[in-house]
Amino acid sequence: MYYSIRHLTKFLYGSAVSESMMETRMHPRSDTTQRCLTFHLSVSPRCRVFGYRDHLGNHVHHFDIPGEHQQLVIVAESLVEVQPALLPPAFLAPDAWKELDAMIEQGDYWEMLLPSEFAAPTDELMKLAKELDVRRKDDPLMVLHELNHKLYEYFDYVPKSTRVDSPIDEAIARRQGVCQDFAHVMIALVRQMGIPCRYVSGYLHHGREDHDRSSSDATHAWVEALMPHLGWVGFDPTNMLMAAERHIRTAIGRDYADVPPTKGIFRGDAGSELTVAVRVTPSEEPPALDQEMPVPEDWSILVEKAQQPPPAPTAQQIAFAQMQQQQ
Amino acid sequence: MFGPRISWSASEGYMLSRVADNLYWMSRYLERAEHTVRLLDVNLGLMLDEGAVTTDGRWTKVIAALGQPKGLEFEGDAYALSLRIIFDRELSSSVVSCIMAARENARNVREQISTEMWQRLNSLYLQVTRPDLKLHPISATDTEEPTEFLQSVMEAVHQFQGVTDSTMSHGEGWQFIQVGRYMERATATAMLLEVYKDFWSATERPHEVSEYLEWIGLLRSCTAFEAYCKVYTADITPDKILEFLLLNPQFPHSVRFSIDSLQTALDAIRRGATGEGPASDAAELMRLAGRLQASLSFSQVEEILEQDVVSTLRRVVQQCRAIHSTIYKLYINYSIQAALAG
Amino acid sequence: MKTQTPALKNYTLDHAYDEMFVDESRLHSHYEPLLEHFTSLPPGELKRRKQTADMSFLNQGITFTVYGRDEGTERIFPYDLLPRIITSNEWDKIERGLTQRITALNLFLRDIYHEGRILDDGVVPREVVYSCKQFRRQMRGLQVPRNVYITVVGTDLIRLENGEFVVLEDNLRVPSGVSYMLTNRRVMKRLFPQLFQRYAVRPIEHYTQALLGTLRALAPEGRPEPNIVVLTPGVFNSAYFEHAYLARQMGIELVEGRDLLVHDNVVYMRTTTGLRRVDVIYRRVDDDFIDPISFRPDSMLGVPGLFNAYRAGNVTLSNAFGTGVADDKALYAYVPQIIKYSLGEDAVLNNVETFLLTNPTHRQHVLQNLDKLVVKAVGESGGYGMLIGPHSTKEQREEFARRIEADPRNYIAQPTITFSRAPCMVDDLLEPRHVDLRPYILFGDKVTIVPGGLTRVALKKGSLVVNSSQGGGSKDTWVLSQ
Repeated sequence: MYYSIRHLTKFLYGSAVSESMMETRMHPRSDTTQRCLTFHLSVSPRCRVFGYRDHLGNHVHHFDIPGEHQQLVIVAESLVEVQPALLPPAFLAPDAWKELDAMIEQGDYWEMLLPSEFAAPTDELMKLAKELDVRRKDDPLMVLHELNHKLYEYFDYVPKSTRVDSPIDEAIARRQGVCQDFAHVMIALVRQMGIPCRYVSGYLHHGREDHDRSSSDATHAWVEALMPHLGWVGFDPTNMLMAAERHIRTAIGRDYADVPPTKGIFRGDAGSELTVAVRVTPSEEPPALDQEMPVPEDWSILVEKAQQPPPAPTAQQIAFAQMQQQQ
Repeated sequence: MFGPRISWSASEGYMLSRVADNLYWMSRYLERAEHTVRLLDVNLGLMLDEGAVTTDGRWTKVIAALGQPKGLEFEGDAYALSLRIIFDRELSSSVVSCIMAARENARNVREQISTEMWQRLNSLYLQVTRPDLKLHPISATDTEEPTEFLQSVMEAVHQFQGVTDSTMSHGEGWQFIQVGRYMERATATAMLLEVYKDFWSATERPHEVSEYLEWIGLLRSCTAFEAYCKVYTADITPDKILEFLLLNPQFPHSVRFSIDSLQTALDAIRRGATGEGPASDAAELMRLAGRLQASLSFSQVEEILEQDVVSTLRRVVQQCRAIHSTIYKLYINYSIQAALAG
Repeated sequence: MKTQTPALKNYTLDHAYDEMFVDESRLHSHYEPLLEHFTSLPPGELKRRKQTADMSFLNQGITFTVYGRDEGTERIFPYDLLPRIITSNEWDKIERGLTQRITALNLFLRDIYHEGRILDDGVVPREVVYSCKQFRRQMRGLQVPRNVYITVVGTDLIRLENGEFVVLEDNLRVPSGVSYMLTNRRVMKRLFPQLFQRYAVRPIEHYTQALLGTLRALAPEGRPEPNIVVLTPGVFNSAYFEHAYLARQMGIELVEGRDLLVHDNVVYMRTTTGLRRVDVIYRRVDDDFIDPISFRPDSMLGVPGLFNAYRAGNVTLSNAFGTGVADDKALYAYVPQIIKYSLGEDAVLNNVETFLLTNPTHRQHVLQNLDKLVVKAVGESGGYGMLIGPHSTKEQREEFARRIEADPRNYIAQPTITFSRAPCMVDDLLEPRHVDLRPYILFGDKVTIVPGGLTRVALKKGSLVVNSSQGGGSKDTWVLSQ
């Protein structure tokens, strides 16, 4: 299966800002079951974009805009090929826990085993673990299948119910959240059983017959847990799915804090309004390289606007108080 | 045309923009502290011979001359007001706040100023922030104490300025100190003259002794009484006072002298920065400073009195502000994009 | 000998190693001229010279900032006039030991941020490294100039009762105090020129030049005339004096985060004549605060994008990021094994015995013996977060027991060690006080250690805490030529 992905991010500032600095993690990974065939990042105002791969193989891009601007638009376009994946079995051999421990002993999995910023055990989490009976029993894979199911049942999916940097306690207390919260709760629960678990940021293609809870017009997040013989296995507790052909992975990390799609800073005293739009278009055959990707209706205007010079600063902005030193 | 905007060689002398900013404000804040202290000293003295001006009128004028600081109002007690203007740390324009701000700026550039400057300023800071001073402020009954205290602050600032001139290299940093001092002085003097706007419509010599004392008070507020008498004798008339404080080319507290000095310092900075960076494009700044200087050099007091004194004074303040903005755009807070684009 | 000299009437020996006396009747021979000189001075003369020196420190503004009050207060760094003397033989061993230790720790850092062989081979447990707050995952796979991670090191040595120098802790992040070493020497040369000459003391004045040379050797390629700066958190930092001092001594600019900016992966500083490229940054700002994009987002001291410029190789930062993982107090316990593993040698300088509280047997032992041990928080420095068992109250011990149970990884314990004692001037008499030694090691194209370092003194009688923030002072350290 091939996917054309367009991911638009727009920051609109209350007043002109300058010296913006931004890092993005939007470039789909090329690993086990998927390959990123093309990727293009356009930024407005225009600037030079740099990139590197971090130690987990994520592609990171970064750029800075020194001059004044009132909005910043980032469009990431990629073409990804996803191999049909074999779904993992329902259970493993009886000695799977032992095998898992041996695997951890020998390999370098500590990073995904220790608590991290958004996936650290709290009193609330431990209570939840008890309630959902999350502990070492049966075999690791069975436990995770069950947990994936239970989290789906336990939490309501409510868009905008939490912020990107909300601690997991908030979601647990209200029994609702967004995909990040489900992922963070699951990671924390899985790690405290001694199973390495990591956060995956990416996109989910919503087909016509799919009844996914998560929003189709946004980025998505799920988790991967380490299983003996199988390696990293993806679970999507938001939608009670196994991560497979419809999941496109852009970055992996310990939790959201490691892999936000955008992370930036600017100089200026202004609020910023964020708009994100994502379109994932599937095709059975690879689209011809010169073929125009379908442009969502309102996008081109948005980008065009962003390329216009910012309005001249008003007189008020210039006449800053001169009787006092600016700090 | 102006050469590369990014300079690469480390061998030439240069100064961090932040350092220039600290030196400029250190100087401005100290000048402001001295000016404020002098105003208080003169007016506390004049209050003893109350007559032509009501207490209320006098202190409202003082507040106006200080630029109407937020939250500062005359509530009937001149000593209470004076204490606030000196010691109130909540008030950003109080004498103590100014001295603390000056010292903080100096501390940030301790390596750029001489040890003597630092010691002089630091001991002034220690003097005015002494804890016992806060507990036992000037008592309302003892009028000698404030005078003594105010005198000592003025002396300390004068000493600091003297030490600055004699122990610091007269390079770019020193020039920024000059810019700060004269920018503050020109603005403060123009604002003070505006407060006395009723004087300028008076045509005759004062009849009342108390009125005469007020006029002397204005001169004293600019340390100008003795210097005035040397030029005009003790014959005190409004037009001569205005001429002296606004247009005299030799008296260091006149607006014209301040602007001349400001212009000289800016020119020295410009010449030191040839062919480098955004600062090489100093034409706009020199035009602004030159225009203000010329307008003062070629003005005659009769013309100004015939037209509008207040608008002339306001123009001076506005042009000073424009010069300040341009200095910042050129040397300190310049746009990174412009600096990179060169 | 001791009893005949009035100045020594309060000089009592105990089980601690004494730097001056072998026993009640015998001096270490290298202290003979010193004692002779100081006891031959007319009464009051020492005090007079001390006052001269005090003035000199004051005028130069040699101060540090004490935290823990409403606002930072500036104080003179307390110091003692009697130099601490180290023989040429003693120093040779210290120098060898430190060079070995720094080389091994640097190889360790290179390894854990790349292949991780030492972890694969089980010499150091992965958990110790990954659970360390100073481990910077951003550094993994990143190439640093000349593979040098730790450019400036200050290692704290103490002397056991038998006189052996051992390592108490390594400071691999932003060690401070070198300016006191240099000013102590300047004052001593002025106050006691004859004594100084008589001793043939090895010089240390080339430190700043060596530091500059070291930094230059680490400049990015293709920058033959690198612009080198010192980055300070600003005047409120307790070591601001030192930052300014070093910048002035090296003749380079002292900058704050707000003076710098990054554009297209190149670092510039803002001057009145435009932007000027920066090539090497001797940073005295902690990792966390260096770049709000890559590290703590709330840092106002940092430079956004600095880490990206560093990754791209356009600017060198010394020390590198993430070096704190190697001076973690739990990692410390493994340093002898690290030396053996990476260099195939036994450690020249030994460690102090250390109990890891993550180990249940160790923890049990420590909790039962809290009144005899010293417990330290792994991430703290400056003598904070510490329990000194024999000097503690029952409440303090209970508090620490609770903390250890709650977070064992955060603490280690060591036996209470009696540091050696050296003569200090107390009023007009000489009395022994506990001392340690912090030599400064530079590592660029080669390892440079100026002979000596900062001898820190616990000026309070009986105290073992030498940190300046807690009543410690310093004295000049004389390493003899032969």
